[in-house]
Amino acid sequence: MENFSEPMGLLIDNTKCIGCRACQTACKQWNNLPAEKTTFFGGEGYQNPKDLSGSTYTLIKFHEVIENNKIKDWGFWKKQCRHCIDPACVVACPVPGVLEKKPYGPIAWDDTKCLGCPLCKEACPFNIPRFTTDINPKIRKCTMCNDRLEEGLEPACVKACPTGTAIFGKREELLKIAEKRLQEEPDKYFKYIYGKDDLDTAVLYISGFDLEKIKGYPKD
Amino acid sequence: MEMNRRSFFKRSIFTLGTAIIVFGFPDVAWAEKKKFKTTLTKETTTICPYCGVGCGLIVSTRDGKIINIEGDANHPINEGALCSKGSALFQVVSNERRLNSVLYRAPGSSKWEKKDWTWALEKIAKNIKDTRERTFVKEKDGKIVNRTDGIAQLGGAAHDTEECYLLSKFARALGIYWLDHQARLCHSSTVAALAASFGRGAMTNHYNDLQNSDVIMVMGSNIVEMHPMAARWIMKAKEKGAKIISSDPRFTRTSSIADIYTQFRSGTDIAYVGGMINYALQHDRIQKNYVLNSTNASFIINDKYSFNDGLFAGYNPEKRNYDKSLWKYDLDADGIPKRDNTLQDPRCVFQLMKKHYQRYDVDTVCNITGVNKEKYLEVCDLFTSTYPEDKSATWCYAMGSTQHTIGTQYIRSYSVIQLLLGNIGIAGGGINALRGESNVQASTDMALLYHILPGYLTAPSPDDVDLKTYIEKYTPKSNDKKSANWWGNYSKYITSLLKAWWGENAQKDTEGGFCYNYLPKKSGLHDHMQIFENMYKGKIEGLIAWGQNPAVGGPNSEKERKALDKLKWLVVAELWETETAQFWKRPGVNSADIKTEVFLLPACSSVEKEGSVSNSGRWAQWRYAAIHPGDADWHGDARSDLWIVDALFKGIKKEYQKTAGVFPDPILKLNWNYGTGDEIDVNKEPSAHFVASEINGYFIENGQRKGQVPGFAKLMNDGTTACGNWVYCAGYVNWSDTEGKDKTAPNYVKNELGEFSNRYAKRIAEKDEPKAQQLIAEGRAPGMNLNWSWCWPVNRRILYNRASVDSEGKPLNPKRWVIRWNPALAEGKGAFEGDVPDGPWAPSEKYPFIMCEEGVGRLFSAKPNEGPFPEHYEPLESPVLKNPFSGQMINPVIVLFHQGDALNKELNTIGTSAQFPIVATTMRVTEHWQAGAMTRNLPWQAELVPDLFVEISEELASEKSIKNGDKVAVSSARGKISAYALVTRRLEPLVIMDGTTKRKIHQVAIPWCFGYAGIATGDSANLLTPHVGDGNTNIPEYKTFLCNIKKA
Repeated sequence: MENFSEPMGLLIDNTKCIGCRACQTACKQWNNLPAEKTTFFGGEGYQNPKDLSGSTYTLIKFHEVIENNKIKDWGFWKKQCRHCIDPACVVACPVPGVLEKKPYGPIAWDDTKCLGCPLCKEACPFNIPRFTTDINPKIRKCTMCNDRLEEGLEPACVKACPTGTAIFGKREELLKIAEKRLQEEPDKYFKYIYGKDDLDTAVLYISGFDLEKIKGYPKD
Repeated sequence: MEMNRRSFFKRSIFTLGTAIIVFGFPDVAWAEKKKFKTTLTKETTTICPYCGVGCGLIVSTRDGKIINIEGDANHPINEGALCSKGSALFQVVSNERRLNSVLYRAPGSSKWEKKDWTWALEKIAKNIKDTRERTFVKEKDGKIVNRTDGIAQLGGAAHDTEECYLLSKFARALGIYWLDHQARLCHSSTVAALAASFGRGAMTNHYNDLQNSDVIMVMGSNIVEMHPMAARWIMKAKEKGAKIISSDPRFTRTSSIADIYTQFRSGTDIAYVGGMINYALQHDRIQKNYVLNSTNASFIINDKYSFNDGLFAGYNPEKRNYDKSLWKYDLDADGIPKRDNTLQDPRCVFQLMKKHYQRYDVDTVCNITGVNKEKYLEVCDLFTSTYPEDKSATWCYAMGSTQHTIGTQYIRSYSVIQLLLGNIGIAGGGINALRGESNVQASTDMALLYHILPGYLTAPSPDDVDLKTYIEKYTPKSNDKKSANWWGNYSKYITSLLKAWWGENAQKDTEGGFCYNYLPKKSGLHDHMQIFENMYKGKIEGLIAWGQNPAVGGPNSEKERKALDKLKWLVVAELWETETAQFWKRPGVNSADIKTEVFLLPACSSVEKEGSVSNSGRWAQWRYAAIHPGDADWHGDARSDLWIVDALFKGIKKEYQKTAGVFPDPILKLNWNYGTGDEIDVNKEPSAHFVASEINGYFIENGQRKGQVPGFAKLMNDGTTACGNWVYCAGYVNWSDTEGKDKTAPNYVKNELGEFSNRYAKRIAEKDEPKAQQLIAEGRAPGMNLNWSWCWPVNRRILYNRASVDSEGKPLNPKRWVIRWNPALAEGKGAFEGDVPDGPWAPSEKYPFIMCEEGVGRLFSAKPNEGPFPEHYEPLESPVLKNPFSGQMINPVIVLFHQGDALNKELNTIGTSAQFPIVATTMRVTEHWQAGAMTRNLPWQAELVPDLFVEISEELASEKSIKNGDKVAVSSARGKISAYALVTRRLEPLVIMDGTTKRKIHQVAIPWCFGYAGIATGDSANLLTPHVGDGNTNIPEYKTFLCNIKKA
C-alpha cells in the first residue's frame, strides 16, 4: 500500500472463527468505546450486544447449524461495515466530507459536520451506520481502523484474531485466496464469496454455511 | 523493557518507517499525525494475566497513563493476537472499581473503613502472632511437628513467580500447613497422574507444538474457549492436514473446529478411554519398539497383585485405602525389575493390562457413556492410527478431566494410551495439561500447597524425624545402571532449599539438619476442602487469601461461606472487592452476626509490577511494570504482593523481636533480604531480581554468596549451595556463564548482586534465528523457540524427548524430530542437537524417563491411591445404579465428608438420582475468567456475558415448558441458583443402559464464574457442587453432580 491507492480489504473466513469476540473487545479497546448495558444474550448463542450501535462497531452473531436433526456446527459471523466499493452511504449523505471512501479501502467518517440524519443508514444495503445517543447524534461505524492503516498497522480486529479468521490485504489477493480455499476444500465451504457474488465490498466473507440462514443477515 | 516503535510494528502486512518520511502524506499535516492514539508513547512488554497460554502484549503509556494495550507481534505464541480477555486488559488498569486504599472491616460492622498500610500491617502482624501463640504445636505424640494449627493461607495462581516463592517461604516460616491454592482445585490430579506415569507432573509439550500433531484429541477441555491462542496452533495443524476430535458432554466452540465430535455423559471418561485402550490392544495398534524400550509393558508384576470386581489387591474397607506394597514389580537378584520382552508372560504388565481392559468392549462403553457407536469407532480408529513412528497425536485436557473423584485416573488413562501409541516425548505428541491461570504452573512449582516443597519435594511428616531420615525415605533407588534415576539427587535439592530459607543459620547439625525441623510437618490431608471443613468447625482462626476467591471458586459455596463466618480474622490481598472480601455482607446474612475482622489490601495488576510468570508449557517469561507508584494511572496505595508479603514478614519479625513468643526461630532466623532494609517503606519495592537469583540458587563460600549455580547438576547436599527451587536452576545465571556479549539484550541485568543473564527475559523468536531455521529445514519440529524466555527444566521444551530417538540417537520420525545425535559436536565426542535432550548422555546410555526410578514410562503405576490401572467408577452423584465394569460404584478411596463427624455432615448432603435426575456439569466461557473478579469487573467483558445462564437441551426445555431466556431455578442437594435458560441443540439427552434398564439422561451445563460482587453479578454455580474430591489430591468433583431444574 505504498502509495495509498491500491484497494485493501478484509477476508473473513468463518470456518476458522471460534466466536471468541477478541475482535469485538479489540475494537472497543482501540477506539475507546464504552460498553453497553446488556441482559442475558442479545441474539442467538452468546451474542451481545443485540445490535451494532454508536459504541459497538462490530458484532459476532452465532448460528447453530443442524443437519440430520443433530448439531453439525456452531457457526459465527462477524457483522460490520463492509466498506462497499461503491458506497451508497457516501452518496446519500447530504454533507460533503462526513463520509469519505478512501482509495485504499475504508469508508472513513469525520463527524464534525454530521447532522445525525438517518439517510446513510437507510441507504446502506446492510443497515450498518449507527449513531451516538447524545443530544446531537453523530455517525458511528467501523472505519477499518483507518487511523491504524495510515500508520502502517493492520486493523485492530484483524490483529487480535487468534485464528486468522480475519486477514487484511489487497482486495485482489484476498479474492484469489478466497477462490483457492473454495476450490481446494469444496465440502467445507458454502460456494459463495460475499462481497463479490452479492455486492462488491472491501470486506469479503466465505463461510461454512449459507449466511442467509443467520437471523438478521444481511440486514435486520 | 522499552521498545522503539520500529520493532513494534514489525508484523504489519506492509512495512513502516516513521509515517511522514516513508509514506509522505502530502495532504495530512503533522498536527493531524500527533492525534494518533499511540504517538509519543513508551512501550513495555508484558505477559497476559489470564489463562496459562502466556501471550505477549505491548502496553503503551504516556505521562504515567496507560493509553493502549494490544498484542505483541513479536511474541512467538500469539504473534500479536489476543482473546477477548487479553484484549480487555486495559480495563483492568483503567477501572474505578480497583482498590486504591487499605480497607478494614471491624468485627460485626456492616461497612468498610479506609486505613493506611502502617496501621494495617501492624494489626495483621499482631493478629498472626497472637493466633500463632495460641495454636502453635511443637510436638505431637512425641514427635516434632512445629506447626501452627490456627492459620490458613490460600492463593495465588496469578501472582508472579517471585511472589509465589516468597508466599511459600513466608507460610512455612510461620509454621502454616493449612496451605493451598487454586492449583489444588484445577490441576492437582494432573500432577499426581503425570508424575505417576512419567516422573514429572507437568504438561509434556507446549502450545506452539500443537502445529506438529496429526491428531489432536480435545477431551476434558474446551481448549478453544479457555486457551484461545491454542486454537491458533490447532489451525496451523489443520492446515497441514491434522484431524481434530472434540469429545465433550456439550458441543462447544472447540467442537465447532473439530472434525469429529462425540457427546457423552459427564463422569464416564475412563469408560470411554478404557475402550480406546482396549481397541488399541485388540487391534495391535501399538508402537512395538517404543512399548518395549520406553515403557514398563514388559515388567513382571509380583504375584501378590490382583484385580477382582472393581478392587485391586490390598483394599481395607474400614480405612478406605490400599496396601500398595502388593502392587510391586518382581525383582531379580540385582534388585532390577524382571522383564519379558516377548510380552507374553501372563504376569507382565502388558498381559495384565490387556486382561484388565477386556471388559471395556465397544458396546459396554457406548451403553454407559451414551456415546454414538459409529462416531466412537471413528474416534478409536483415528486416534490409534497414530501408532506408527511417523505419526503423532496429542491429548489436550483440563478441568473436564481433573475435577472428578477419579480425576487422577482419567489422566492416567490418557498416559496409558499415549505410551502404547508411542506418543510421549515426540513433537506433536504428549499430554497437554492445559493450565488455566497465567502462573499456576509456577505457583505449583513453588509449592503453595501443603503436601510439597518447591521443586516437588515432599513436605515432611512427623515420622520423618530428621533430614537424614527424610532423605532416606524419599530418595528413590535404582540398581539399574541404565536408569538415570534423577530423583536420586534428592538430598541436594532439599539441602539447597533449606540453605536458601535459613541461610547461614542452616548448618549440617542444626535442628535436625540444616534447620529441617523448622519446616511444619503435615499429618494427613490439609487441602482446600479440609481447610474449609476445619474452618467450619472453628479450628482455623485466621486466613490469609492472596488473590484467591474461594467464596465463588470453592465447591459447596454455602458451607465454605459459612466457614468464613467462623474466622476471627481474614486478610485478603486483591485488585477488587471480591465475594470473599465482602463475604460478611453477602446477600442473606446479617453482618452483625459475623465477627470476623477483615483486612482488604490493595494489590497490583500484572502491568504494575515486574517479575516472571510460567505458562503451562513451562516457559518462564519476564514482564515489566508499565506504570509505577505515583503515576497518573496508579491506584493510590496499591502495592505489589511482593511488597505486601515483604512488609508483612518484616512486621511479624518485629513483633517477635519486640516480645517473646513460642518458637520464634523459623521467623527470626529466616533468610529474608530483598533490598528494602529492615523497615517497612511504601516507597521501596523489593527486588524481583533478588528473588529470582535466590530461586536459581548460588554458591556459598565462607558464609558469602559466590555466584549463581549454572545448573542443578552442580547443586550440593553439603551446604555449599542454596537454591529456592531446583527445577528453575539455570534460569537466572551469571552473565559470565552465558554466551552473552550483547549487554543491551533484554536478558542482561546488572544490580547490587552482580551481572546476570535473566534468561526469562530472552526475546529471540526462532523465526529470527538462522541456526534454528536451518535445523527446521532439516526436519526439526518447529515451534520450540529455544531462545525465547527459558523453560524448566534446563530449557527443555519437550519432556521425555530421549524416547523420540532410537538406540543410535537417530530420530524415530526424521520428518519431525525433536533431538538427534550429531557425532561432530562437542569436539567430536558427539552431542544431541535440537531441543535440550532429556539428559546429555550418549544414545542408549540411559533410559528415556529419567525421573522414574525404572527409567521407563509407567503403564502400570503403583503410585495412585486407587490402583495401578485406571478403572471406571461412577461419580459420587450418579444417575445410574449399576456400574457395568464391576460391583464397585464409586472410587473406593475417596474421603466422604457426608459420612464424617456431625460437623462434616452438616451442609454436605449427597443427592440421589430419584430426587435429582439431571446430570449437571460446570463450565466456563471464554469471556470470563475463573471466579470472575478479573472480568466481571470489566465493562467490556460484562457486556459480552452479563448474566448467569444454564445450557439445556431443547427436549429438556420442552419437557419443563422452558423457553430460551426464561428464568429457571437449578437445584441440587446442597443449594439452589437462579439462571437464564439458554436452550440449545448443542446438548441432547443421551440414552444409556443402567444395567439392563434403558435410561434417558439429560445434562445441563452452568458457568461457575458468577458471584454477588462486580458489575456482572449472578448466583455462584458452586452453591450446587459437593464437598467431595479425588482419591489422590482431593480436587473437588465440580464437573459432575446431580440436579433438578424448573421454571422460576
